[in-house]
Amino acid sequence: MSKRNRVILNAEGEVVRRPLDLGIIKRLMTFTRPYAAKRNTLLAIVLVRAIQLPLIAWGIGAIIAGPINERRYDDVVVYTAGLGALMLITAITFRFRQLLAMELGEAVVRDLRNRIFEHLQRMPMQFYDKTRLGRVISRMTSDAEAVRIGVQDVLFVSLVQGGQMLVAAVVMAVYDWVLFLIVLAMAPGLWWISAYFRVRLGDAWREVQESFSRVTSNLAESVTGIRVTQGFVRQDRNTEHFRDLVESHAEYNMRAARLSGVFLPLLELNSQFFIAVLLLTGGYQVLAGGLWATAPAAQFEALVVFFFMVNLFFAPIATIGRQYNQAMTSMAGAERVFKLLDSEAEQLEDPGAIVVPPITGRVEFHDICFEYEPGNPVLHDVSFTAEPGQTFALVGTTGSGKSTVIKLISKFYLPTEGELLIDDYDIRHIQTQPFVEQLGIVLQQNFLFTGTVMDNIRVGKAQATDEEVIEAARKLDCLDLLEALPDGLYTQVGESGGSLSLGQRQLVCFTRAMLADPRILILDEATSSVDTMTEARIQAALAILLKGRTSFVVAHRLSTIRHADQVLVLDHGRIIERGTHTELLVIGGVYANLYRQFIHASNA
Amino acid sequence: MITPGRLADSQQSNGRLILRLLRLTWMFKFAAMRIVLLQLVLLALALSGLGFTGLGIDEIRHHLFPADTEPPGWPLGLSPPDDWSALSVVAFISGLIFAIAAVRFILDRTAQIAKAELVQSIVVHLRARVYDKLQRLSFRFYDDNESGSIINRVTGDVQAVRMFVDGVMIEVLMMALSLVFFLGFMFRIHIGLTLACLATTPALWFLTAYFSKIVKPAYRTNRELFDRAVRVLSENVQGVHVVKGFSRQPQENNKFLEANRAVSDQQRWIFRKVAFFVPLISFLPQVNLLVLLVYGGWLVIDGTIEFGTGLVVFSGLLQQFSAQVGNIAQIANSVQRSLTGAQRVFEVIDAPVEIQSPANPTPLKRAEGAVRFENVTFGYQRTEDPELIDINFEAVPGSTTAILGATGAGKSTLLSLIPRFYDPLIGKVTIDGVNVRQYDVDDLRRNIGIVFQESFLFSHTVAENIAFGHPGATREQVEKAAQIASAHGFITELPEGYDTRLAEAGGNLSGGQRQRLAIARAILLEPPILLLDDPTAAIDPETESEILEAMNNAMQGRTTFVVAHRLSTMRRADQVLVLDKGRIIQRGTHQELMSTGGHYQHAAKLQLADPESKRLLGMEVTES
Repeated sequence: MSKRNRVILNAEGEVVRRPLDLGIIKRLMTFTRPYAAKRNTLLAIVLVRAIQLPLIAWGIGAIIAGPINERRYDDVVVYTAGLGALMLITAITFRFRQLLAMELGEAVVRDLRNRIFEHLQRMPMQFYDKTRLGRVISRMTSDAEAVRIGVQDVLFVSLVQGGQMLVAAVVMAVYDWVLFLIVLAMAPGLWWISAYFRVRLGDAWREVQESFSRVTSNLAESVTGIRVTQGFVRQDRNTEHFRDLVESHAEYNMRAARLSGVFLPLLELNSQFFIAVLLLTGGYQVLAGGLWATAPAAQFEALVVFFFMVNLFFAPIATIGRQYNQAMTSMAGAERVFKLLDSEAEQLEDPGAIVVPPITGRVEFHDICFEYEPGNPVLHDVSFTAEPGQTFALVGTTGSGKSTVIKLISKFYLPTEGELLIDDYDIRHIQTQPFVEQLGIVLQQNFLFTGTVMDNIRVGKAQATDEEVIEAARKLDCLDLLEALPDGLYTQVGESGGSLSLGQRQLVCFTRAMLADPRILILDEATSSVDTMTEARIQAALAILLKGRTSFVVAHRLSTIRHADQVLVLDHGRIIERGTHTELLVIGGVYANLYRQFIHASNA
Repeated sequence: MITPGRLADSQQSNGRLILRLLRLTWMFKFAAMRIVLLQLVLLALALSGLGFTGLGIDEIRHHLFPADTEPPGWPLGLSPPDDWSALSVVAFISGLIFAIAAVRFILDRTAQIAKAELVQSIVVHLRARVYDKLQRLSFRFYDDNESGSIINRVTGDVQAVRMFVDGVMIEVLMMALSLVFFLGFMFRIHIGLTLACLATTPALWFLTAYFSKIVKPAYRTNRELFDRAVRVLSENVQGVHVVKGFSRQPQENNKFLEANRAVSDQQRWIFRKVAFFVPLISFLPQVNLLVLLVYGGWLVIDGTIEFGTGLVVFSGLLQQFSAQVGNIAQIANSVQRSLTGAQRVFEVIDAPVEIQSPANPTPLKRAEGAVRFENVTFGYQRTEDPELIDINFEAVPGSTTAILGATGAGKSTLLSLIPRFYDPLIGKVTIDGVNVRQYDVDDLRRNIGIVFQESFLFSHTVAENIAFGHPGATREQVEKAAQIASAHGFITELPEGYDTRLAEAGGNLSGGQRQRLAIARAILLEPPILLLDDPTAAIDPETESEILEAMNNAMQGRTTFVVAHRLSTMRRADQVLVLDKGRIIQRGTHQELMSTGGHYQHAAKLQLADPESKRLLGMEVTES
């Protein structure tokens, strides 16, 4: 039995089932508080229904065993009419039982999803560095669904079923308590059987799922890598390998089938077995005087009523067992969601931080150190001052810390040590939102949202009119390129639309930053995958974009570096050289070497 | 527009689909018949178990009220010996019920396992077949279909097709047979009662069908709405830099709130329908029970039918009958799903393999490496908008041809015609003077090494990835290839060297490392022809020089075609082809092209370091 209570992990090390936990249940209940009226009505309805169901079964049995058996036809009609009324009321109760439960579940899940999303908006960048997208999406999908089932089903179904079992027990005990004791004696066995198989089947199905995910990931790889496969003539071997995987998956399926092939027939066997026992003991009581004293006629009546009621007593055992399982799954889902909601939100500003006035764009680093993970510094004592309007180029190998510098200016993180001043304001003392609104950011990924090109540019300034968007593109001298898209500025991009070429995406992101018209511009140049013909246009647009703003560029283009007012060369988190392009070449140090490599790569 | 590779456009009639599905069923006829037989026996046993229960009740009742009741009638005129006591008879019946239940248990288990076996063997058969076909389909197929849809065809759609056998054919047969059994049994008890009790059945059928008809599309809509909400989330996370960088959080919150509300509102509509129809549908069978009590009760009192074998058994039959009726909606649903699935699966199985070896291929052991394009015109869509127009050029064995051009100019397309990933519409590509179509496709491709723009690596070990095209390669061969590709150094520094397992798509390697493995993979077989499709495209300039070195080593002694933007590569090439909108607009060596001006010179100048910087670095300031 203890096996059922264990915490079960999946292949990713996430908890998929956990024992019931009062704290989580209570917290889940707080989500139903706004819908308390609905919840309480539902509870009342559920209790009514728990009585109605056994009452109907009893009614049928009683009419057959009583009036029909005793040939009182008038009573048959009257009682049946009464039973009909009860059935009708039960159907109406059923309607509200369903409607309210589903609405309650949906309301809770909707609120939960909104809470998750809002919370995510406040999470610091560190969170996004560490968390995979798939995880976040599971919180919103499968975990929220598990919570829904927990809220709308587990409690209410268990109540209906438990109540039904109880009422059926009382009715049977009233008719014949000795016969009922026999029924009762069989219950633990049934409980044990269903618990045993539930655990085994649960494990078996988990294995089926795991083997299936091996099949699909192999499949995904085969489809994505098809060009390589055909180019290297690997088809036969791949097919063979896939067949092995599919066959092993089928074998896991068979294992599960063999288990459930015992379990379900066993439940059926149990109820048949009970009917045989019922006949035998009932017959013995009626025909041979019996073990315990009853009137034969009453005994016969009891026999018939039992025949109709006994399944109402047995069936809930398996159902409640399933609900218990479901409860554990819901519990794990709720726990994961709550863990996300409890994770610390962004603390990027001091209490009493001020709204920064329009800035001129001076940026100062004073002895700044930064570490993503404690004890693992990526910037050491970085100091520099950028005057309004200057362009700074950041140069260095991967991991030198150049992207960290621009992320600190973007206020994605706060420095671990040292002071970062914007126009003499410490970045901790100014509110994030109004400050960031004066920034423009273009990053390597050139990320576009689903929507039109126009929508995507408008990300830079939510309230901009179409004319302002067009004007921004015109200023960058790339309006013709955007208008040349299939539907011009109204071309759909992102998942649902066609894709833009890399160069086009970059131009959209440039225009987005242009529209924001920021005092400080942050730019992480894309690596050199834009084709030569578009490159010229991009370089021209870039020059316009940088003009008149304080700009920080993680530079990959020779021309960008050459035109910078100041080049900062970073290595292992320190500034090792600084100066203009020409100055640094003259020094003949690390930068000169790096530059020589650049030239080598492009010219040789 | 109908194109040969696109799947969704080719519709097959339902009649043809069903015919093919029947043929599939026929392949598994013995296993299927076995299941039907087993279930038939099970049904008979269940009914006789129920019958004996009624008989037992009648026996007891007869002895209780001997004056009021007839002696119960045993089936088939059999009856227990007269000298048995009433109790022995009841005990005997009870024993029979138990024996029947035990036999049912064993047979039920056998039937369930047999069904699972059938299901699994169909699924394995279909998956292997579809997958094998997918491996052979031409690139055009993959250009035209999203990978998600292709994967679904092997997973979900195959299950839907399989459902035709076990969820439609077997079920329909069983349903028909069991309805006959039930009705026969019920009619035997009383025809009038049967008809009266089943009067609601047509209404039930109608309601169930109507319900699933309005709710199913609603659920599909809900799925789409929810997908939209999830997309807002996933873009929000993927674009978190943009969201934070432009402080878009309020707008993003609203976007999600709205998407989430749309899901919720639509869900509420579904709930109202469900909460109306489900209680109604479950109420109807209860009406049958009421009819049974009033009419059947009268028949019992009247003495027309028996108490146990008549009324009690009838109530049991009614319950099981309602369950069967519910099955009809299920089957109708399965038919729909299996037809949709079959449509999609057969599309793959039927898709033409465009690139095939000729019947009598020209043998090709090892090519010399002379490649020629003669008047080649090619378009993916076979329409008037070709990707390549009238391409003519020749590459002598061992030479290097560099190809330059803007995105969409047709550079990759040109390369892909050499290993016959596509066939030209007009003209021909020859290797060693023979049209590539005359070689065996596998032989042809084994003579060509390919490095793609973003090289796909599989989640195997490093060594297995290098030996991808030749799994039997020795470790020496693998290491030699790695050395040529300047990859040996970093591979030996990996935790388990050549036996390090790569993450999905080579995620645990840097872009430069991945490309060097790809180069090693391409040259393992020492191919006389090498295609390099812009291998540095997605690489940091800082690491580009490593790959350039690997490329240079790999090109030694092979006829090489390289798509590139870097001047260093152009300079090394024996000829440069400048492509624009599918045509060769300039050709010659770097020197020649630099002196003629035009496109090439313009593009090249953008990349040149200024002479001043070069002078400061003490580098030789060359021409250009």
